[in-house]
Amino acid sequence: MNEFNHERPLIMHIDLNSCFASVEQQARPMLRGRPVAIVNRRTDTTALVTASYEAKAMGVKVGMKLREAKILCPDIIGIESDPAKYRFVYHKLLDIMRDYSAHVTMKSIDEGVIDFHDSTAAIAGRDLADIGYEIKQRLKDEIGVWMRCNVGISTNRFLAKTAAGLHKPDGLDVITPENIQDVLGSLKLTDLTGIAGRNEKRLNSVGIFTPLQFLAADSVTLHKMVFASVVGDWWYKRLRGWEVDDVATDIKRVGRQYVLERFGLSYDQILQRLHHLCESVGSRMRGQHKAARGIYVYAKTLDRQYWHASHMSQLPFCHDQTIYLQAQQLFRDAPTRLREIGIHCYELQDDMDSQLSLFNDQIVRERQVTSAIDDINAQFGERTIHSADTLNTGTYVKQKIPFGSTRYL
Amino acid sequence: MNDETFLNERVDVVAVFGEGLNPCRPIKFRRPSGREITITEIGLRHPNVQGKRMVHVFDVTDGGADYRLEFDSERLTWHLKMEADHYEK
Repeated sequence: MNEFNHERPLIMHIDLNSCFASVEQQARPMLRGRPVAIVNRRTDTTALVTASYEAKAMGVKVGMKLREAKILCPDIIGIESDPAKYRFVYHKLLDIMRDYSAHVTMKSIDEGVIDFHDSTAAIAGRDLADIGYEIKQRLKDEIGVWMRCNVGISTNRFLAKTAAGLHKPDGLDVITPENIQDVLGSLKLTDLTGIAGRNEKRLNSVGIFTPLQFLAADSVTLHKMVFASVVGDWWYKRLRGWEVDDVATDIKRVGRQYVLERFGLSYDQILQRLHHLCESVGSRMRGQHKAARGIYVYAKTLDRQYWHASHMSQLPFCHDQTIYLQAQQLFRDAPTRLREIGIHCYELQDDMDSQLSLFNDQIVRERQVTSAIDDINAQFGERTIHSADTLNTGTYVKQKIPFGSTRYL
Repeated sequence: MNDETFLNERVDVVAVFGEGLNPCRPIKFRRPSGREITITEIGLRHPNVQGKRMVHVFDVTDGGADYRLEFDSERLTWHLKMEADHYEK
């Protein structure tokens, strides 16, 4: 298969521009046209989650510390993230996209893919670029005038996403076999999704320094010399417009992390925050009807040291107290002078009653109590009932924007 | 940094319930001080579920400041939760 895919481009990638900053500028008209940064906490040392285009034009980049951003852009306005607002926009975008096809996949809170294969005759008969412009207009009509999105259209997800990144903000591009050489010729290797760091070095090692050289490489070179696996074949197909990324990803782990609100917290105070994270992880895991067998706890110190410990159980678990008891046990060996803690549960499996021994009263009782607590929290709001140990931690350990996964939206 | 004032003021609101994508549109509100604010634009309206209680959040402006109004659909009350009327230069 060394030919380009010549079928009609039927994959559309939609990406909201500087999503959280745009939503804040939409919600608060006084912020429009001003440099805005979205942060998770109002401190100078916090990293930027998103920056508005006005801030980006001044050199501000996502991931930069607010303090650094203020040097580049003294007028920058730091806004604390508001997940409920972004969740609403996510659902509006999803509703709009679903009006055009039953096959919609959200890749994250601010981007999604519409697959127009198998769409109705009325939709299939339309030019996809027209539908793209219509979606842009509907975003403005149904959410607000400040909302903009990039639209990319091609024959596979990879090229559609690449097309969506060509003209930010508010672009609409189509990649076809006819223009792919021109498009790739205008990009750097690291502009391609999935090519960064290690993959770039791998390609460089065989003399591939540009996307066009990448495209010209044969499949044997990519398979045997560059990626040393089937990944090379995938890249060969991906660059020619064949679909290799339409795969459902299974949930592998559930976790949370927390950067301590101040340094010098006592060991007990840090344990309380760990307890809070355990309750949050337990709730998310049960919400997905999963139980875990593995638990992993980590910490980062002020000296940038990384510590971790893990444990694998024979029986699956999903209850807050079970998670916390194990995490607490592991955390005994944690270093001092911490700046960040985190926990995740892995080796997930479907949580089924049958996995529990009917004769183990304690497990059954624990399950009933947890189920009752989950029901109450669902009815009256998150953390209506929680451990007394975490009574004061809610002020600090807040729910933040889930990046990369739309499972909890 | 953004200069926001977080409040919890019970306010009187004049709102229009009509048709379209945004059927509820607050027009103006009166703060406990007696000051009346006329809304010139609703930036965004989004629901915020608090357990089984639904609170509708309206981010609005009068052209001089941004405000956050919350309408509790169970208690049928309006509260002013935030005012941002000054951004440091």
